Amino acid sequence: MELLKLNETPVRTSRNFNINNIKLENISIPQEINNFNNMQVYGDESKVIIDNQNTKLNLTYGLGDFFTNQVSNNANKKIKIVIDKKLNKEIEIDFKFDKENNDLIDNIEIVAEEQAKGTVILKYVTEKNIQAFHNGVIRLLAKKNSKVNIIVANLMNESSNNFMSIENKVEDESKVNYTIVDFGGKNSITNYFSDLEGELSDNKLSTIYLGKDNQLFDLNYIGELRGKKSNIDIEVQGALKDNAKKHFKGTIDFKKGCKKATGNENEACMLLSDTAKSLALPMLLCSEEDVEGNHSSSAGKVGEKELFYIMSRGFELKEAMKLMVRAKFNKILDNIKNEDLKNEILDSIDKILD
Amino acid sequence: MAKTKLEEINRNIYDIKNKDEYDFKIKKGLTKEIIEEISKQKNDPDWMREFRLKALDVYNKLELPTWGPDISELNMDEIATYVRPKTGLSNSWEDVPEDIKSTFDKLGIPEAEKKSLAGVGAQYDSEVVYHSMKEDLIKQGVVYTDMETAVREYPDLVRDHFMKCVPVNDHKFVALHGAVWSGGSFVYVPKGVKVDIPLQSYFRLNSPESGQFEHTLIIVDEGASLHFIEGCSAPKYNKVNLHAGCVELYVKDNAYLRYSTIENWSKNMLNLNTKKAIVGKNAQVDWVTGSFGSKISMLYPMSILNGEGAKTEYTGISFAGKGQNLDNGFKVVHNAENTSSLVNAKSISKNGGKCTYRSLVRINEKAKNSKSSVSCESLMLDDISISDTIPVNDIRTDEVEFSHEAKIGKISDKTIFYLMSRGLSEEDAKAMIVRGFAYPISKELPVEYAVEMNNLINLELDGAIG
Repeated sequence: MELLKLNETPVRTSRNFNINNIKLENISIPQEINNFNNMQVYGDESKVIIDNQNTKLNLTYGLGDFFTNQVSNNANKKIKIVIDKKLNKEIEIDFKFDKENNDLIDNIEIVAEEQAKGTVILKYVTEKNIQAFHNGVIRLLAKKNSKVNIIVANLMNESSNNFMSIENKVEDESKVNYTIVDFGGKNSITNYFSDLEGELSDNKLSTIYLGKDNQLFDLNYIGELRGKKSNIDIEVQGALKDNAKKHFKGTIDFKKGCKKATGNENEACMLLSDTAKSLALPMLLCSEEDVEGNHSSSAGKVGEKELFYIMSRGFELKEAMKLMVRAKFNKILDNIKNEDLKNEILDSIDKILD
Repeated sequence: MAKTKLEEINRNIYDIKNKDEYDFKIKKGLTKEIIEEISKQKNDPDWMREFRLKALDVYNKLELPTWGPDISELNMDEIATYVRPKTGLSNSWEDVPEDIKSTFDKLGIPEAEKKSLAGVGAQYDSEVVYHSMKEDLIKQGVVYTDMETAVREYPDLVRDHFMKCVPVNDHKFVALHGAVWSGGSFVYVPKGVKVDIPLQSYFRLNSPESGQFEHTLIIVDEGASLHFIEGCSAPKYNKVNLHAGCVELYVKDNAYLRYSTIENWSKNMLNLNTKKAIVGKNAQVDWVTGSFGSKISMLYPMSILNGEGAKTEYTGISFAGKGQNLDNGFKVVHNAENTSSLVNAKSISKNGGKCTYRSLVRINEKAKNSKSSVSCESLMLDDISISDTIPVNDIRTDEVEFSHEAKIGKISDKTIFYLMSRGLSEEDAKAMIVRGFAYPISKELPVEYAVEMNNLINLELDGAIG
């Protein structure tokens, strides 16, 4: 397999810093895509339209031509979800990878109509001992005054590969809350792009990631602020044990004309072993004067004082660590109102940290 | 609130042009024959001539950077890489030719030497024309001389250190520097010697369509300390000039070095400079940088913390106006336990100028218990300018404390309103805020240089508030 170069940052920096893109070797890409049948829809099924026609995608960024074209030409799940004023229940779609269904190429389009509100949960899980492949695109159009919550939970095993491209277009006064739980995949590579074109448009992106063994996470998040008084908040909390590695590339780009726009980005990485590695590039790009942009980034081990305090209350080191990680993730987990999903995520945290 | 009017300013003393007179000017371009001619003109020893030719080979093999400002307008076929002025090296100010002396007089160099410096070097085009140092430092064994003299008189010391800290294959313009370098300063501070007042080298490029490639090599031996100041300026011509200097700093165990720069190249200059320090056990290097000039600047001083307990601080400000693209920043690599780095970077963009803060903090596996804190702030003075922050944080072990924060924005309307309610005009209020923004950098400079930096800010703001 040739070397794959993907997930380019919007602005390049020195090649020696090894962060402009990610290069992957020996990734097994399925050549023949079979049907994927192990999918379950919960909630208002009438809003979920399943269609098998391929659609040519024109993503602003995406992971790269190869991955975008695969979804354009070979998607084995093409789904449109409509959030309208009549929607009264959250929609959940679970994708379960097993021996018969271990390759998923999904093309998901979500349209939130004007003034509509709704929640969509997309969950990806794998059976044990299979090597799954996921390449997906999620496109969201949040029309005027809509309010959308989207939760993407990657709970795949650590021998699978997860590739995901997300694009949002956020119109006037609409609000998009995106929560990404990124735990699975030997390689989990995500490109997230939000076009805040609308006046007073708002996007909150909250991510937790948790890695062990030799897992690699490459997160490339881009928020372009175009509308007046638009806002983006990016919050990323993660923990890495063993030899796990994370690349975080976060860009807040204030485009000319986005007067009084604001953007905040906070990325924190807990290193739970001395061989885990954190690479971060939190970018602020600014072509407009009347804006406020902030970013902060931190990395280090779990605070010894806090660990000592918890252990002095009778907890063992491993349990104390779990508590600390959960505490860091809690604020983001609170975005998930679906208790079953939340408990499943908490179980996964425990298993990964065992 | 009404927009501040931003005009291009008169850089007065910095734009004084002398007649393009020289003793020797190499023909434009970059070929093996040209490198051999430079080497011959400079009476290089054989090892240096071979070094130059090897560097030319590396230059020809390396690509231009694929990131940062567009430097495609640089055509090496239009640049003369060596211009020897019509004078030799002098230890007496009176012996320097009148037009050159007059330029440095107006820049305040001899005045500064009298008042606040332990030694001065002045380079005009490709050669150092004046060098002096106080007697008591000579007696203590301090060496401060031009690089050519150092190559001749301290061959072993130079050969052991020359382009070892910054190897020629680092990037294309380091290779170019290795091939055509000329002039610059050599400083050696012996073990335990504390140089209490600063040394300064001033670099002036007068000749149009030429380049300046000075090499600065400073060795601060164990337990010694030094403050070195570098100033740079040039008059403005219509075609591009190139500055691709190289600074190599060796700060041995328990030593201290502060390296301050006031860079005010003319706005047709491509400033592609490289600066790097290797820092020993419990030693410290501090960088203080004010970057005002140049059309394009790509400058990222670097500290390599190799010794246990080594420290570095970077305090820098960039001020980009019309037609300027200043891509500056800092790099630090932590290679040993208990090392620390502190970065405080600021930038101001106005009148269509672009400032980029680009950086790297790398904490390697062996650097247990290391700490790094980075803060960068960018101020936008209008809506036609650009300000970008592109920092890379590469943390490879868990026993670290690392934090990075950055802010971008305009001058707060509330602050201006507050100052105006105290009787200041809007312009004075803005100027006061900008000076306050730059204060953390100016306070790190000796008072005379802080004044020079404030004058430069005033010059820029005089234009800004028309």
